[in-house]
Amino acid sequence: MVQKHFTVVNAQGFHMRPATDFANAMSKFGCSVVIKHNGRDVDGKSLMNIIASCIKVGNEIDVICDGEGENEALAKAAEMIESGFGE
Amino acid sequence: MLKGVGASAGIGIGNVLVLEDISLEYTPHEVTDTAAETTRFKDAVDRFIKNTEKQAKKLLETTGEKEARILEGHISMINDPYMQSEIEKQIASGTCAEEALENMCNMFIGVFSAADDDFTRQRAADVRDVKAGVLGELLGVKEIDLSEVPADTVLVTRELTPSMTAGIKKENIAGIITETGGKTSHSAILARALEIPAVLSVPDISEHFKNEDKVIVDGTAGNIILNPDKKTLAEYTAMRETFIAEKNALEVFRGKKTLNADGKEYELFCNIGKPEDAVKAVECDGEGVGLFRTEFLFMDRTSLPNEEEQFEAYKKAAIILKGKPLIIRTLDIGGDKEIEYLGLEKEENPFMGYRAIRYCIDNKELFKTQIRAILRASVYGDVRIMFPLVTCIDEVRQGKRIVEECKAELKLQGKGYNNDIKVGIMTETAAAAVIADLLAKECDFFSIGTNDLTGYTMSCDRGNDKVSYLYSHFQPAVLRMIEKIIKSANEQGIPVGMCGEAAADPMLIPILISFGLTEFSVSPVSTLKVRKEIAKWTKEKADEITAHVMSLKTQGEVAEYLKTQI
Repeated sequence: MVQKHFTVVNAQGFHMRPATDFANAMSKFGCSVVIKHNGRDVDGKSLMNIIASCIKVGNEIDVICDGEGENEALAKAAEMIESGFGE
Repeated sequence: MLKGVGASAGIGIGNVLVLEDISLEYTPHEVTDTAAETTRFKDAVDRFIKNTEKQAKKLLETTGEKEARILEGHISMINDPYMQSEIEKQIASGTCAEEALENMCNMFIGVFSAADDDFTRQRAADVRDVKAGVLGELLGVKEIDLSEVPADTVLVTRELTPSMTAGIKKENIAGIITETGGKTSHSAILARALEIPAVLSVPDISEHFKNEDKVIVDGTAGNIILNPDKKTLAEYTAMRETFIAEKNALEVFRGKKTLNADGKEYELFCNIGKPEDAVKAVECDGEGVGLFRTEFLFMDRTSLPNEEEQFEAYKKAAIILKGKPLIIRTLDIGGDKEIEYLGLEKEENPFMGYRAIRYCIDNKELFKTQIRAILRASVYGDVRIMFPLVTCIDEVRQGKRIVEECKAELKLQGKGYNNDIKVGIMTETAAAAVIADLLAKECDFFSIGTNDLTGYTMSCDRGNDKVSYLYSHFQPAVLRMIEKIIKSANEQGIPVGMCGEAAADPMLIPILISFGLTEFSVSPVSTLKVRKEIAKWTKEKADEITAHVMSLKTQGEVAEYLKTQI
């Protein structure tokens, strides 16, 4: 299991496009992906659950990957979140 | 005349085409062959995806990338592994595909609609579209085809959906009228992207509109005029032409620097009242924020916001602006802005009383909480501090001393801040204008608040009908105040802006250019207009006009003369 802490930097948070890109990218990995936000566990491969979690700019989140390809998955997640989803 | 929400500006004139809702009714039933039902569901999803992909491609060609993404989002939603597996579970337990789909979609529509932010709430409309699309496939109902509508059509519909828009021939659509949706709904976003005038939230459309009725859609004012007479039609036709001409003339200035006719560069910022408004400032092509009013953080609540809450708000605005300047005005309460829980005593003369910087210096802990929050946010962009209602040097010195104290505290706590943060003042009192030369030596920048400066200089309340005739920034007394402030800043070499309404007044702009203003801060919607106005003037021409203006003796003469010059 690997885990990393992030601050969401893009202005609109995990709105439609970032959430879609994120869920699509994470779905390519075999491991499970969980976003911890506000004490809740959100399935990082489920666009609908990511949207429902209302992750906004400035929010603190943890991403936890567990299983096959977990390091690669976390690296990809970090790249997307830290670059502000290219916004 | 019918009233609605003007969601996409412009005037459209054409003939009504009412789009009836397609019925997606079905009878829920129990299924025994659950494997076959699952296949039926999966096939419907496949057809929905193929169809939506086609529509997205069309939308990309006809409307734009942003709008095509809405449809791509729908595909991602239905592809959500969690949602699919939940629907399949329900089918496996004997629920029919339609009902299983509807249950799951309705669950998410409920969750999204209850969210506390706009972005999430708007996604409920997406789920509704997905639900309707897949239900349509399951029931074998076809979408409305809008590719063949005749020229000058005004669409009247319950809601404008992205899939409807995909097939649209936009040159044939003169206007859009819908029964539901506000300024941020899909209908509104799509209408604006298509640049079609639209009025939304018009109740009971089926009662009001018949096919082939002549109708005017005023998307700017939110008005609809059914079967207009000749005179009204001629008026609106002329308005339509003016609107199009003005819009084309403004768009030329998007993404450009703000330059006068000599090529001298100015800063063109926006005024905002909430962190989210920074998005608007950026969208409207503002080069930064020249005035961030912080009162919103203190209003409509029962206790003071703490440092963390304020920090989050300032940080949010700074991040949205991505390094563009963000001038935060410290709390400007008192006067007409009352905050109940502070328990301020009623004063005989609140505008001359205990308010703004005077109150803050006296209530040091409250002030320091705000300053610390601003300092911490300064790590995230070009954040600057501005004190309101300054009348004397002591207030600047005390304010700056408090900023230094806060820095020292943050340093001890190991919290980051920009040590070189710029500290400036609103020059909005007669006293500040008169000693602007002294103040300029103690401040990093000035920003002229013309509303208060005009009121204080003319000693008049603009809200009082009996004296409001005195209230004008063309009063020779006000113009001399503005001149003194700008020239003092220029002599000291510090930036000087204007963040009052007057900064966007085309008649005042040449005078501000001549005096030497360096920054204009206006409401986001005025940004391009002001850039265009500034571009009109050479320094020489502005000087010539200003020299004459300053020789005139009354407000009436000044206004009359300026009208002939622009």
